Amino acid sequence: MITDVQNQQKQSSVSSLASESGNAGQGPGDRIPFWGRVSGRRGYQALVDFLFASERRQFALLAGIPFIWVLTQHLGPVLQMLYVSFLDAYPVAVGAQTHLTLKHYLLFFEESVYRMPFLRTMTYSFALTFATLVIVYPVAYFLARHVKRQNQLAFLLLLLIPFWVGEIVRTFAIMILLGNNGAVNLLLKSLGFIDRPIPFMYTGFSVSFGVIYLTSLYMLLPLYSALEKIPASYSEAASDLGAGAWTRFRRVTLPLSYEGVASGCTLVFLMSTGFYAAPVLLGGPSTTVFAETIAGFFHVAGDRWPTGAAFACILFLASLTITALFMKFMGRLSSRGRR
Amino acid sequence: MTGKTRILMSLIYAAFVVYVFVPLSMMVVMGFKDSKFIGFPIKSWTLDWYGRVFQDTEVMSVFGYSVLIAIGSTLVSLLIGTWIAVLLAGRKFFGRALIFSLTILPAVVPGIISAIAFRIYARLLGIEPGMMAVIWAHAVHNVPFVVLVIVARLSTMPTNYIEAARDLGADPLVAFTRVTLPYLRPAMIGAGIFCLLLSFDDFVRSYFLGGYQPTLPVLIFSKLRSGMSPEINAISTIVIVLTAVLGVWAERSMRRMNGASR
Repeated sequence: MITDVQNQQKQSSVSSLASESGNAGQGPGDRIPFWGRVSGRRGYQALVDFLFASERRQFALLAGIPFIWVLTQHLGPVLQMLYVSFLDAYPVAVGAQTHLTLKHYLLFFEESVYRMPFLRTMTYSFALTFATLVIVYPVAYFLARHVKRQNQLAFLLLLLIPFWVGEIVRTFAIMILLGNNGAVNLLLKSLGFIDRPIPFMYTGFSVSFGVIYLTSLYMLLPLYSALEKIPASYSEAASDLGAGAWTRFRRVTLPLSYEGVASGCTLVFLMSTGFYAAPVLLGGPSTTVFAETIAGFFHVAGDRWPTGAAFACILFLASLTITALFMKFMGRLSSRGRR
Repeated sequence: MTGKTRILMSLIYAAFVVYVFVPLSMMVVMGFKDSKFIGFPIKSWTLDWYGRVFQDTEVMSVFGYSVLIAIGSTLVSLLIGTWIAVLLAGRKFFGRALIFSLTILPAVVPGIISAIAFRIYARLLGIEPGMMAVIWAHAVHNVPFVVLVIVARLSTMPTNYIEAARDLGADPLVAFTRVTLPYLRPAMIGAGIFCLLLSFDDFVRSYFLGGYQPTLPVLIFSKLRSGMSPEINAISTIVIVLTAVLGVWAERSMRRMNGASR
């Protein structure tokens, strides 16, 4: 790679020298590269002189498109959603006046039909994030601390491949696994634990199982990279000072991995609040989550869009608040550990 | 570390691998079952479901449609993502931290909220639900992933490469296309494949921004809602194989780049 770049530098230096001395392309069998020919043209020179005349102009050229893109495409949709959530009707009918209103937000607090799915989403996401952390931490720990460094990538890759497969396909796989004739019921039956299949599907259990299956990678990667950074000598030092295995973990390794715990939990929590397909396919009427409530407003004609937008804003705000509080808590925890 | 905990930890890892692979392998196995009914026991095997998938013109056209969307959105994401990454990895400027957080924003907005926001914004922009809307939403959603990969790659590039090129008479544009871009190539291949996979597998944005023509995940979703059939297993198995091949390719490209920079 490095020699590649150096070669190219050599070529480009040759070509620019050639074009400066004005005999571009005249050497026998000496092909001038594309950029060499281009940069020899007078029009190109004028353009470059104009474009890169000052530092400020160079920066404007570099930053213009990214600024516009980030503001209009990344921030724009969220702001427009917030704006629509305050409108009394959207899309605006021709010739009609729009008024700003809070009624969509009030609707949420008035109707318990909407509150239940919201609270369910929050408790599920919270509990499932914690469950994912507990399940995945030992796996990340094993990968980072017990596997030889040159084998780590292979071990990690083995887990990565299934996670590249999309949400829908993996949800379908869970449906087959947990179905009445699925592998789990078959195994339990053949072991003689049960006579009749256990109805796992369309319950809170199947939704939880599916969501953990979908999110565990997003917990694994941050935890792994945090744990991998901790030098093994820290544990050895603690061991020399007489700390047992559990103390070493609790007083040394765990506090140093808080950063990974924080980012993994944040990612998984935010993802869990936004799942739509998995609860629809794996859940039943008793497990309706807030994402389904929000989606419901967009299946019908446009006049309920502001309500849907308001509910989406409520969900976003709530999950961001919880995430921020959690980050603060983790920050305090790790700063206390340092003292 | 004592031998006992070591054994316990490797058992936990093995159990996790089983947990990750068993559901998908069950699904693959069911695609070869010679019965309309999904579930155990399996009495006889068949390849008929695969034959049906390849004869099903709807599935084939949906597949092509999804591939087109993936390629289109990936090209946009790569262009914009690389541009933003070069800006962010360059010299400091006022508001850089803010631009960085805004860049990451689409990646952290929960799925349903992201889909709803894009749906509303598409109407503001005047994009009708359909292919263009899905390409646009996927492109915006995937930009953060490109930026993260490219910024990581740029941080390993010695600054004197560019200085050398400039000293030898290259203007900033030539220095970028002849030095920076070749250096970024493996990262761009890796990020591009990652975007292809994200777009091809995306459900929630395709579902809310798509018109009458579904993408592959949306088609599987609607088939699943009307009942399971081994044909869906066959389609999903093909998706898994494609995903694994592309994913391993991306991983190898990224690993070669990490090895070379050391």
